[in-house]
Order: sequence, then structure tokens, then C-alpha cells
Amino acid sequence: MRLIRDSGILMLRSLRESMRQPAIEIGNLFIPLFFFAVTVGAISSISEQAFGVSNFTGFQLPVAMLQAIAGSAVAGAGIVNDIQKGYFDKLALTPTPRPALVLGRMLADAVRAVVLVGVIIAVGILTGAGMESGPLGTLLLLVIAAAFSLSYTGFAVSLALKTGSNQAVQLSFLLFFPLLFLAPAFAPKEVFSGWLEFLATINPVTYILEGSRSLVLDGWEPGRLLKAFAAIAGIAAVTISMTVWAYRTRKV
Amino acid sequence: MYAIQAEQLARTFKPDIHAVAGIDLAIEPGKVFGFLGQNGSGKTTTVRMLTTLLRPTGGWARVAGFDVTSNGGAVRQRIGVALQEAGLDEVQTGRELLTLHAQLFGMGRRQARERAEELLAIVDLTESADRRVAGYSGGMQRRLDLAAALVHHPEILFLDEPTTGLDPISREAIWRYVADLNRQGVTVFLTTQYLEEADRLADEVAIMDAGTIVAQGSPEELKASIGTDVVTVRPAGHDGVTLKAAETLRTLEGSPEVRVVGDSVVVYIPEGARAIAPIVLLLTESGTEITDITLARPTLDDVFLRKTGHHIEAAPTGAHA
Repeated sequence: MRLIRDSGILMLRSLRESMRQPAIEIGNLFIPLFFFAVTVGAISSISEQAFGVSNFTGFQLPVAMLQAIAGSAVAGAGIVNDIQKGYFDKLALTPTPRPALVLGRMLADAVRAVVLVGVIIAVGILTGAGMESGPLGTLLLLVIAAAFSLSYTGFAVSLALKTGSNQAVQLSFLLFFPLLFLAPAFAPKEVFSGWLEFLATINPVTYILEGSRSLVLDGWEPGRLLKAFAAIAGIAAVTISMTVWAYRTRKV
Repeated sequence: MYAIQAEQLARTFKPDIHAVAGIDLAIEPGKVFGFLGQNGSGKTTTVRMLTTLLRPTGGWARVAGFDVTSNGGAVRQRIGVALQEAGLDEVQTGRELLTLHAQLFGMGRRQARERAEELLAIVDLTESADRRVAGYSGGMQRRLDLAAALVHHPEILFLDEPTTGLDPISREAIWRYVADLNRQGVTVFLTTQYLEEADRLADEVAIMDAGTIVAQGSPEELKASIGTDVVTVRPAGHDGVTLKAAETLRTLEGSPEVRVVGDSVVVYIPEGARAIAPIVLLLTESGTEITDITLARPTLDDVFLRKTGHHIEAAPTGAHA
């Protein structure tokens, strides 16, 4: 399968790129951990009385995960860079299957996401987040990280292909922050006021967050996990369609 | 079979910019074809269509016998392309970049490494192979780009302004590689805004202006088509003097074509050697002092000027060096 082989080759190229720019990855790790530390520091002593969460460290861990995944989604920016440098054309002139050009970078994002999330989980466990679902649950969290990364990064990739512009790609971050905070990031959605609870209910990120959280706090809850994967699949369906459409109608 | 063939090939950009307005090409295998024109003449658009990167909006083109629209994959297997402004990934090293390309052309890891090594030697980059491309000079980047285009032993090589912005030594090196490749049987389609480059490398030249081909033939044919010698006179003094001298020279016997180019007057006249004395006489009589006078056979520059009404304006050299 040329597609798999070439995607792998291009993924390695993209990973090599990150290894050579380590400051970026350090930033991607620092920001979620910093927010994790200050949020836990500020709220954990009152979280039990305020909204009945005794293990606020574990409650916050998936938020740091999702932040790290969003931060490491650089496929779109990478593609814009390749397009602007003219290197994308160079790659497009090889017989490699077209989707590999995009998939290689997306897979690299997923790998980065898994590595960063692995570090974050380790930090979480060391600081008392606990992991009710055990090692297998940890593994599943990494799978969620990879799957969410792939579905999420597709959004920026489609904008990159369509416009070849960095500004458009920056938009994808603007999209993520509302999604993350219109979800039960700091408190369970049961304590939200009506409008916010409604938005959180229709926000797919809510279910990814709650599914991941259930693995940390409660152990194995198939219903929640199913909803998490359904939400990821939903996001993926949208971003994959967008990417295919963007490639077909590409200007640049 | 032609290596490259096109009929009424056209590309219109919205709303109605006719970048390429219907051109015909018939290039035989093993030739070096020079595609001459200034920025915006449609050269690059033509190359992008012939290399399957851009869909034509009119006409058709076949490269290595395959239609560029319906059979792009087969075309890409057989062509090597070095695009304008060497599009390279600057974070990789030269060796990594060539190995990657060889792999994408279907080679195994080991074979790809060997091919990369070979190509690095061909373009004299072995010593810099493990440095990142970002640190390469303009000339080195072009050489690497050329090497990347050669990974799969293409039958036809497309070079879009391969030497624009390079210093003379780097340019000379690129010319040498291109000539070598052509000797090995590779057909070369070369766009350039340097007349010297076309003259030096190309078996056949097409002059592109405003989306159409205005002249085509071997450099010798094109120069002979002028049918005259070229006498260039530089009068002493400024604009007014030059214009007046041109007026005077238009009254020469046979009323030759006279053009003002910068501070010189160019006279297209048959048997230029015999015309020098009358030119000097006429100007002296009209009170014009002459700083310089030269007689030359027509160059491609004269052909270009004749066919398009303007000089080719090349981008300044050293821009990316």
C-alpha cells in the first residue's frame, strides 16, 4: 500500500522537523501543564464543597490533555509553510498518492499528541490525579489522544489546503478555545447556568472530556467512552469532508 | 513521437486574465528547448500546465506521449521538475531531502540512500550533504533542487528559470549540468529571462510575450530572420541629442529601422560595415558628436526587441544569492 508507506515516510519527515525545533514542543507541554497547575492550585481546596468533585487534580487532567493535543496540531501550519515555500508542489510532482501529503503531517500530529499526553498523564499521576481504570485505561487515553488529534487537526489542514494562508490556519485555534471552555472544563456541567449547560450539551468536546475523565476518576464506564468516541467520529466526519473538499477545489 | 506537444494550450484565470492564450509546441526528444520571456509573459503558467500542476482551460498538451490532464500520473513518472525559486524544505538536510524524494519515487530505503549519494556527487554537494538546507546559498539550493528533479532518471526535465538571481559562477555550474544531462539524452524544457542562457543552451527557442508565442526557431534562424546587421551609435550628450540623432539616421539611404534604446541609437541595416561611413558622415554633418559606435550581428536581444517591441527586463541578479 503506497498510501500507508508514503504517509509513514512523510510522517517521519514531519517528526524530524519537530525534533529540530524542540522549543515549540516544550511550549506545547508547558502551557497545558501551567494551566493545570494553577487551576488545580486555585480550585482544588473548594471543589468538593462547591460542586462535589473531591479529586480535582484528576478532574483537570483531561483538560490539560486536550490543550496539549490542540497545541500540537501543527499539520495545517506545516502545509501552509510547504505551499508558500513551493515545496508542496515538489512533493505533488512525485507519484506519491495525494492523500499521503496530508496524512503524513496529520499522523505526525497524532504521534506528538500521544507523546505530550503521555508526559501529562505521568505528571498527573505523580501529583495525585489517580487512574481508576489502571494501565489499560491509560492506554485508552492515549488512543483517545491520537484519535482526537487526527480529527481535530483536519480542520486546520482543510483551511491550509484551501487558502494556503497562515491567518486562516490560526483561525482553528480560535475555534478550539470556545469549544474547550464551552465544555465542563473547570466544573461539571450540572452546575452550569442554563445557557452554558445547553451549549456544553451540544458541544462534542464535552463528551471527549467526560469520557476521558471517567477513565481517570471512575474506572470503566462503557457508555461514556462510547459517547467520547462517537464525538470524535463526528468531528472527524466533518473535518475529513472539509479536507477532501478543500483539496478538490484548491486554489493554490 | 514528440517529447512535448501542445495545441492551442491555454489558461485563463478569473475574471479574464489570459495568462496563456493558446500556444502550439512540438519539441523533439533530446532537444533543449528555451522558453524566453519576461516576468508575466506566461512562461511559468505554461510550465505548470505541462507538469500537471495546473489544469489547462483550453487546448491540450502531451508530455512523453501522455495527456497532462487525463494521465497526469504517467507524465509525473517521466518528468523531472525544478520550479522557479527552488521550493525546498529548509529544515531537512540535503541528504535527507534527496533520500525522501527517492523514497517517494518508489525506491527502498537503501536504494534511496545510494541514489541520494550519487546525486549529491553529481551536483557537487557531497560536502554540504549533512547540513540543513536553510544554510545553503542560493546557488546550492538550486543545485539541490535540480538533483531532486533527477532522482528517478526522468526523460524530460523542466527547469523554470533555473539561474534567475544566481551569480555567474553558480549559473555556469547549472549550465554545465544541464548540458551534461542533455548529452545523456534528456530532453530539457527551460524557461529563462536571460537571452544569453537561451542562446548558449537551447537548440530551439520560443519567445513568449503576453501569453502567446511571437517567434520560434533555432537561435541562428531567429537571428538570421532579422536580415540586417546591427549598428549601435552612442552620441555625446543627453536625451535630446539621442532623439535628434535617431531622426537624422532615419534619413539614411534605404530608410533603415532605427530605435532609441537608453542613450544609444540602434540602426538595423544590411551590410553594416558599409553603412558605418555614411552614418558617421551624416551625424557629423548634423553636428552630433559620437562617443561610441559598434557593429554587430543580431543577437537574440535584437530578435526579442523586434518581435515584442521592448527589451527583455530580467530580474536583477544576486536577488537570492
